[in-house]
Amino acid sequence: MQKTIDISKQLKQTRRRENIAGYLFMAPSLLFFAGFVIFPMGMCLFTSMFDYTMTNFDFVGFSNYYELFRDPTFGKSLINTIIIVVASVPTVCLFSLWVGSIIYKLKDIHTSFFRCIFYLPVVTGSVAVTVVWKWMFNPYYGLLNYVFKGLGIISTNMNWLGNMDTALWCIILILFTTSVGQPIVLYVSALSNVDHSLVEAAEVDGATNMQVFWRIKWPQIMPTTLYILVITTINSFQCFALIQLLTSGGPNYATSTIMYYIYYEAFKLSRYGYGSAMGVILAIIIALFSAVQFRLAKSDQ
Amino acid sequence: MDHSVQKVTAYKVIAVILLIVLAVLFTFPLYWIITGSFKDARAINSPAPVWFPLQPTDANYIKLFTKPAGLWMFNTVFLCVMAMVLTCIAAAMGGYALAKKHFAGRGILFSIFVCAMALPKQVILIPLLKEMAFLNIHNTLWAVILPTVGWPFGVFLMKQFSENIPNEMLEAARIDGAGEARTFTDIVFPMIKPGVGALAIFTFITAWNDYFLQLIMLNDTQVLTISLGIAKLQSELSTDYGLIMAGAALGSVPIIVIFLMFQKFFTRGITMGAVKG
Amino acid sequence: MKKLLAVLLTLMMVLSMSTLAMAEAATEITLWTYPIGGWGNEETVNGIIANFNAVHPEIKVTVQYLDYASGDDQVTTAIEAGTTPDIIMEGPERLVTNWGAAGKMLDVSDLWTEEALADIGATSQAVVAACKTADGKYYEYPLCMTTHCMIIDRAAFEAADAMQYIDEETHTWTTEGFENALRALAAAGNPVTGIVYCGGQGGDQGTRALAMNLYSAKFTNEDHTAYTMNSEAGVKGIQKLADLVTEGVLTADPSIVAGDEIALFCNGTAKMSFCWNASAAASNKTSIAEGIEPFPMAFPSEDGVPELCGGIWGFGLFNNGDDAKAAAAKTFIQFVSDDKTQGPASVYATGFFPVRSSFGDIYAGTEKADNADYAIFMPYLGDYYNVTSGWATQRTEWWNMLQRVFAGGDVTTEVNAYVDASNASITK
Repeated sequence: MQKTIDISKQLKQTRRRENIAGYLFMAPSLLFFAGFVIFPMGMCLFTSMFDYTMTNFDFVGFSNYYELFRDPTFGKSLINTIIIVVASVPTVCLFSLWVGSIIYKLKDIHTSFFRCIFYLPVVTGSVAVTVVWKWMFNPYYGLLNYVFKGLGIISTNMNWLGNMDTALWCIILILFTTSVGQPIVLYVSALSNVDHSLVEAAEVDGATNMQVFWRIKWPQIMPTTLYILVITTINSFQCFALIQLLTSGGPNYATSTIMYYIYYEAFKLSRYGYGSAMGVILAIIIALFSAVQFRLAKSDQ
Repeated sequence: MDHSVQKVTAYKVIAVILLIVLAVLFTFPLYWIITGSFKDARAINSPAPVWFPLQPTDANYIKLFTKPAGLWMFNTVFLCVMAMVLTCIAAAMGGYALAKKHFAGRGILFSIFVCAMALPKQVILIPLLKEMAFLNIHNTLWAVILPTVGWPFGVFLMKQFSENIPNEMLEAARIDGAGEARTFTDIVFPMIKPGVGALAIFTFITAWNDYFLQLIMLNDTQVLTISLGIAKLQSELSTDYGLIMAGAALGSVPIIVIFLMFQKFFTRGITMGAVKG
Repeated sequence: MKKLLAVLLTLMMVLSMSTLAMAEAATEITLWTYPIGGWGNEETVNGIIANFNAVHPEIKVTVQYLDYASGDDQVTTAIEAGTTPDIIMEGPERLVTNWGAAGKMLDVSDLWTEEALADIGATSQAVVAACKTADGKYYEYPLCMTTHCMIIDRAAFEAADAMQYIDEETHTWTTEGFENALRALAAAGNPVTGIVYCGGQGGDQGTRALAMNLYSAKFTNEDHTAYTMNSEAGVKGIQKLADLVTEGVLTADPSIVAGDEIALFCNGTAKMSFCWNASAAASNKTSIAEGIEPFPMAFPSEDGVPELCGGIWGFGLFNNGDDAKAAAAKTFIQFVSDDKTQGPASVYATGFFPVRSSFGDIYAGTEKADNADYAIFMPYLGDYYNVTSGWATQRTEWWNMLQRVFAGGDVTTEVNAYVDASNASITK
């Protein structure tokens, strides 16, 4: 009898010790996480129910959300965001897979050379990259018009960023150059780790390069591909500096994305409640995207 | 070895040539930044591009340093290093606890961390701004550092790394009479060091490129980062591209040099982040 | 690990101590200023503050320089974060209509003494009216004013034989003359004549004055309660611009802002700029390329009598709940604006004209003597409709409307959409 009490007491003590130690170790990260992520997130949900501007703070229920769905600019921004994601995610993935599959077989020094080159735009920094592109896109003395005219692609100077049909594609192009660095690094490493005995066995069996790739290598680099899909998607959703610095969402909202529109409503028109509602919608959209991707990941395994 | 003596196919030749062309295109913006920073107004505005500044001028840099560009650079480095150090410490401890400490509510906590990871920071910017104002740190570098540290990716990554620590080692340390803190610094930390390195690089690049948060939180000329500084030059003097390029060069060349020097670590950091993530 | 923590703790301590040290200093006020002529220049402003401190050493003034592209956002962020400056230098459209109407500014009626009212009123009652709200509060104490005009390259006009369309005496021209001049310039082989920039942000007055004056449209109604560019004359003016762009004798560019357009004039790409005034002339003096002969012009109108858009700039106080700071800020404003020697010097720095009639011609015999040339436009000063409510929204909508029109949108539809959206944002 005495003994069992001791054991349970000891057990309790150990558990308490574990609890205390656990929470103490968690404390710093939890503090930051709760304070600067969870709390503002809750506040965002809360303020999205208010007509919250420089002067007002009135409860309005769901009317911000209701207004959102009737706001043509929000619709346009949503479509632009989706165009960016849909256009850039597959191209980034395919391009980096292609580059990765060529350079991983090269000599080490060549591999790192190319890997560095494609990673350069990432380390250059988004703002520096954006301003130099803005200069190159300049309709009067920009480099691109000169080169394209020289090549005979265009006959007169194009206003790339000022044209509603081309502006968004310019953004996508720049986003592309700053997005492929990380995926290439990942693919090179994933492809180098592919089990070579399987590849050799298949080659002995007379499989073509294509067959080897799809049957043997592709399944092995699948987890990497999924990871790349997820980070590229989040990255494309978050594209902001490019838009703010290049076009400010123009011409006529042709390059406005949800991210930019939130900023615009909140910091140009001081409509904080409305901006928060948009934030909530964006969070839901991204959550849906992630859920679909996780699903895909699961079904593949 | 068979696969090292590969057939040189036509496809491969074309592919490599194509790659070289692409490499030139990818390096070009950087080349244009650096050469542009040495061009005078005439060369900048010329409709026929001046491919290389034959009469380089240092006027752009002199003009740049009439602004507190050095301070902007310092602010950026301070911000990134602080965010990096704090994130690593907090995440290493948190990740270890989530992986190895059986405290109540661990499962739920971990799920919340994972869910929050996919959320874009911009979503919470308005309340975050209010909060920083309330804490009286809006318009200071801390207003950017603290939310960066709070971002859950680090904890998640460190948890994955800490899973690999054998329980026997922790048990052995406990039997030897090591306290929790000792166990962490002497046993756990050395084991997850490569992960911490990866996280450090990851955080540094993220903080460096996180223009949005900086834009919202920092106002005064004295607290700007180099990114904001370049953006400000661009909005003030939108066509003085020589000066803007000088700013861009100042902001990018140092980190590029660091990147080239520590290329291996960067690559390893990125890959490890992915493998565990 | 331990070393790292130690370093960290020290850093944090140093940081918190430095903030404490700052809080203990004497009356410290902050001034945010837009680049209103030389007021965007650190050296100039430091000089003004040095003059002030010679008389008032007990007040320390720190300055932040805003730019027109991101300045508004910065102020909005600061209002939201509660970190607004004590003093801000800008025009009534922001100080009175925007932030004042939102209750963020302090009433500065006590700066408007009898003497000031009379002196400023003698220049123009419109200035006084612009700084005053409907319920009689003043959120702005003005320093300087100007009329916005345009500039042409006389050399290019002469080469294209286009000076014949201009009244060189009065610096005015008719709508027809303007059209003919554009055609002559284009025919003479200039790929770019003038650029209707519509990339947004500041400089809206240029495109607005151009569109309004072509057929003498009114921008708002008389009591500033509704936007009226959808009148027949307004639509006609914008239609004319769209036609000229289609004809290929005028360029419309949604990718550039006013600052770019000015730079393109200065480097000789464009032969005229729609965003000009005395201060622009002074600050761009050195950047104008060789061979260009700047010649200031009023905006073209059907009858040759333009109604120019005015600009008024001065100071406002943010309500930060600190009486000592507010008092110190008022001392500063009074010194800078009213002092017999500093007042004119402060105006001189802007490159504009004093709102106080007693200051007289401040440019006579100085190196900015050319600025006096721009005084010829002052009689054309029109209604200061910038104080109409909903101004910020109107401005954004204006750019978007231009962008849609130049992308081929139907002018009547787009102008109506713009007016509707702008009127919807007017707070009653």
